[in-house]
Amino acid sequence: MVECDFPECTTFGAVIRFSLELEKGAAGIYEELAKEPKAASAAALFKELSELHKKRGTMLENMRQQKLNEMILEPIQDMNRELYLIDTNVPKGADAKAAAKFVTKVEETSARFYVDAAKIAKTIMAEGSRFMDKMGKENLAIRTKLAAL
Amino acid sequence: MALLTEVQKNYGKLKNFVNGEWIESTTDKWLDIENPSTGAIIGQVPMSTVDETKAAIEAAHEAWWAWRETPPIARARLFFKLKELMEQHFENVARIMVQEQGKTIDEARGETRRAIENVEVAAGIPSLMMGYNLEDGAAEGIDEDAVISPLGVFGAICPFNFPAMIPFWFWPYAVATGNAYIVKPSSQVPLTMNYLTKIVEQAGFPPGILNLVNGSHEVSDTMMEHPKVKGISFVGSTPVAKYIYKHSAENGKRVQAQGGAKNSLVVMPDANLDRTVANMLASYYGCAGQRCLAGSNMIAVGNVADPLLKKWLEGTKKIKMGYGLDESVNMGPVVSAKAKKKVIEYIDGAEKQGAKVLIDGRKAVVPGYEKGHFVGPTVIDGVTPDMTIAKDEVFGPVVSFMRMESLDEAIDFIHSSPFGNAASIYTQSGRSARDFRYRVQCGNIGINVGIVAAMAYFPFAGYKNSFFGDLHGQGQDAIKFFTDRKVVITRWY
Repeated sequence: MVECDFPECTTFGAVIRFSLELEKGAAGIYEELAKEPKAASAAALFKELSELHKKRGTMLENMRQQKLNEMILEPIQDMNRELYLIDTNVPKGADAKAAAKFVTKVEETSARFYVDAAKIAKTIMAEGSRFMDKMGKENLAIRTKLAAL
Repeated sequence: MALLTEVQKNYGKLKNFVNGEWIESTTDKWLDIENPSTGAIIGQVPMSTVDETKAAIEAAHEAWWAWRETPPIARARLFFKLKELMEQHFENVARIMVQEQGKTIDEARGETRRAIENVEVAAGIPSLMMGYNLEDGAAEGIDEDAVISPLGVFGAICPFNFPAMIPFWFWPYAVATGNAYIVKPSSQVPLTMNYLTKIVEQAGFPPGILNLVNGSHEVSDTMMEHPKVKGISFVGSTPVAKYIYKHSAENGKRVQAQGGAKNSLVVMPDANLDRTVANMLASYYGCAGQRCLAGSNMIAVGNVADPLLKKWLEGTKKIKMGYGLDESVNMGPVVSAKAKKKVIEYIDGAEKQGAKVLIDGRKAVVPGYEKGHFVGPTVIDGVTPDMTIAKDEVFGPVVSFMRMESLDEAIDFIHSSPFGNAASIYTQSGRSARDFRYRVQCGNIGINVGIVAAMAYFPFAGYKNSFFGDLHGQGQDAIKFFTDRKVVITRWY
């Protein structure tokens, strides 16, 4: 199991924290799956995707540090965290297909989160919104890759 | 959601930083530093002596001339280095600020960014402090130059509400222009500047160029009275700002003394209410209302009052209070038990004068943080211009809801205040916005913006009783405050 701690999305910082937890969760899940002997055929892809999610986390942290401005710290009141929680209980002994099915759900949930977060971020930080929108699309592109396994 | 980790549980006894060394004060007066969210004591700050302050001034004075002779581009390099180090320590600075001041982590990150921005602007000093000249400016064959020169030693007396940003409104510009500096942080929140000074030390600034002296009015008075101090920058309440201005001027100092505020936010009938409410929530409740730019009076013009109040109450009820190291928290406590008592007294007073408390934060308790100094978001309806709550600075998360007939009435009311720090209008009408920015006598005007915080490259100060002095903080005003113009007329035979 990958340890994640998803906050209520009531501030922009909390939305970014939620994103960071999603990325940490996804990176950890891929890392664990890459070690599964029965999913060895997908190990290279899982390692690559784990690195991608780590990189996205770093980019989110940089964005938070560089761009946050107190003038636009408006409370966020319309995001329900329950809709975006991912399952971080990585299945043991999964083969490549089962593993792909599991992470596909993670990517879909993340995509849904980023699409909604991008809309909210639009009034706060244009670049943040664009980045989240891009990440959501990336999640869906990963789903396509996973479908090929 | 788990709390972010505290940098340290306890910071022990703080030292002063003088002439490049960390020195323990010899004073027998120490104050506890309290975490306002938990009530825990997280360190002790010395009330440094007059002699210790004088030693810091002498050290700064001894250091400044060699620093003045250091080329501006070389001085700028240290600010680039400092910026890089501040980026590395960004999260620690923000978390220490939450611990000692009570603001939320997002607010603290925003403030840390503001401090860094001042370093970034100061790093442009070779361009910013250039003088000017005119060939044959005096007469044929006689040229005239205006040279911009530093003056010596300056000092800052800082408040509790922005422990990182406010010292950085001043000292980077003073030091970049070739002066030496002494910062006296607020004794309620000295940890952030203590940590930042360690970063400054690491960046390699020469000994004596930036000094940190913890303490109370004895330190301030010594700085104001010492003949080797050329100027004082201050931010705090209006009565103290008046005293600082008068006392420093009597002693021949330059002064910039920023005082209190009573900011009104005016909502016009054509305002976009959803966006307006979201923005104003940050203004009134951000930093628990302890910004000098926080909204205090909310003036609803015409028929917008009822729909605005309805939305405002809905938004207010969703504000989550707690320890700012929980990233989902919207609002932290006020800074101390004394501050909480004062805010509650204002709410009591408003009620006695006939206003109606619609949302009452007086008895707010955050589970798990019963010793914290929390005042919940408070909305008071039926506030009229003659009530104390409409006139005095409350410095807490309290909204005085007022109804007026026209923009003219709102502007007249704003002008009736002895303060002139900030005022905002929410409207979709360019005409109303133009009228507002043109007529309102405040140092900071917001158009659909409720926290009118000037960026590092713009000047910051209020009008009237919100500011005593002429040159504002930050930007070009800061360069002028910390330098003088010297005219050189040259003739060669």
